[in-house]
Amino acid sequence: MNNKKKIAVAIGIMCMLLTSAILIQLTTIKEATKVVGTTYAAQQLKDEVLRWKDSYENLYEELEKARIDLELTRQEATTENERGKELEEELSKANKLLGLTEVTGTGVIITLSDNNEITTKDSELELNPSNLIVHDGDIRGIVNELNNAGAEAISINGQRVVGTTAITCSGTVITINGVKLNSPFEIKAIGSPENLFIARPGGYIEYIQNRGVNVDIKKSNEVVVPKYSGTMTTPKYMKTVK
Amino acid sequence: MNKSKIVVAITIGLMSFMMIYIMMVQINIVNEYDGEEIEIMREAELKTTLAAYKEKYEEANNELIDTKAKIEEYKKDEKTEEDAIKLLEEEVEEANMLLGKTDVKGQGIIITLDNGEEEGIELTSISTEDLVELINELKLAGAEAISINEKRIIATSDIAEVGYSAIRLINNERTTAPYIIKAIGDIKYLQSALNIKGGYVDSALAYGHKIKIETQENMTIEKYKKDITMDYVKK
Repeated sequence: MNNKKKIAVAIGIMCMLLTSAILIQLTTIKEATKVVGTTYAAQQLKDEVLRWKDSYENLYEELEKARIDLELTRQEATTENERGKELEEELSKANKLLGLTEVTGTGVIITLSDNNEITTKDSELELNPSNLIVHDGDIRGIVNELNNAGAEAISINGQRVVGTTAITCSGTVITINGVKLNSPFEIKAIGSPENLFIARPGGYIEYIQNRGVNVDIKKSNEVVVPKYSGTMTTPKYMKTVK
Repeated sequence: MNKSKIVVAITIGLMSFMMIYIMMVQINIVNEYDGEEIEIMREAELKTTLAAYKEKYEEANNELIDTKAKIEEYKKDEKTEEDAIKLLEEEVEEANMLLGKTDVKGQGIIITLDNGEEEGIELTSISTEDLVELINELKLAGAEAISINEKRIIATSDIAEVGYSAIRLINNERTTAPYIIKAIGDIKYLQSALNIKGGYVDSALAYGHKIKIETQENMTIEKYKKDITMDYVKK
């Protein structure tokens, strides 16, 4: 009898725990959906975003196919001609320089990440948490320094740096080529590994390291920089001066 | 007695299992909270994301139409070899223009940026960060071509300073303030991007720099004068 009571109490406590766990979860889910907006309008907006994302992705796939098709057609049309071959080569070289192809070579890989545990060298810096996170200006500074060291191709978390690339911050994320990216940031650069190893006194790497940001830099014989994933259209405003 | 113990044990076991399962589901939900997730975006964020996708869609669509038109051109029946060569030449020319290897002209803005003075003494001089930030803002506003003191800014351009020198190296060529920055693009966008609250004009003035922005209906930006090469790229 006594034993049964004990068991009943144990089961009772278990049930209570279970119920509270379920309740906690229900509230969590409710809050999660609340962020989306319980209104019909917000739901519709979300659906619309998803629809446009889908259509964009499908269209981009089609575009990739068309690019390949154009290349083949072009080759076919000019294969018999010396001048044609020459131009063809010039075009593919230009496209490579524009960042429209994936490239591989020697270089460095730099990883920057927000410092979530406070371990700055200078205790005064600890007081400002902004010092411990990676900012858009940091990425610009490092890209500028890599270019100065002769980088031939650079990407950040898969986003190729091309002529029109802007690096900005939007709230807690960094936007590059219109794509939102989060810490950690992996910056890949192709060039002379010795020159690109920019962890030097007075350099940007040293500056952000001292600020408390986590930095890792390593040389590599095989850095793969992806191609530009955006679109390149005929410019609207500039014309070549002949 | 023994039987009921087993039943109790099984019941408790099942309950624990359920609890762990529920906890894991919950942890998963929490883990899915990511900056990119559309599911958890707020209304304002959704609106900007929507606008961004619409713009990307339109750009991709433009390139697709362009690409298809080019394919058509190459495939035309009556096309001679000369026509194909001409088409190819046009494509090469456009690629070179995008690379910055040609002089270009068009509408845009001219920014004059100079170090501020007080009683004849120069205040904080314009840093490389200033120039890098300004170029970044111009790119964000859709600038198609940019130059600083006639040095064309291309994808691999850099701006460097040495010690406390007033000399800046742009594309490894010496230059110094005042900086005349030219940008070709939509005048409206370029102007408003710089003049927006917290934009470059604000920060330049806060640092005590002198800044002036003019618009031009037709100006020329010179080409990048050196060779662009990829010597370390294997494939």
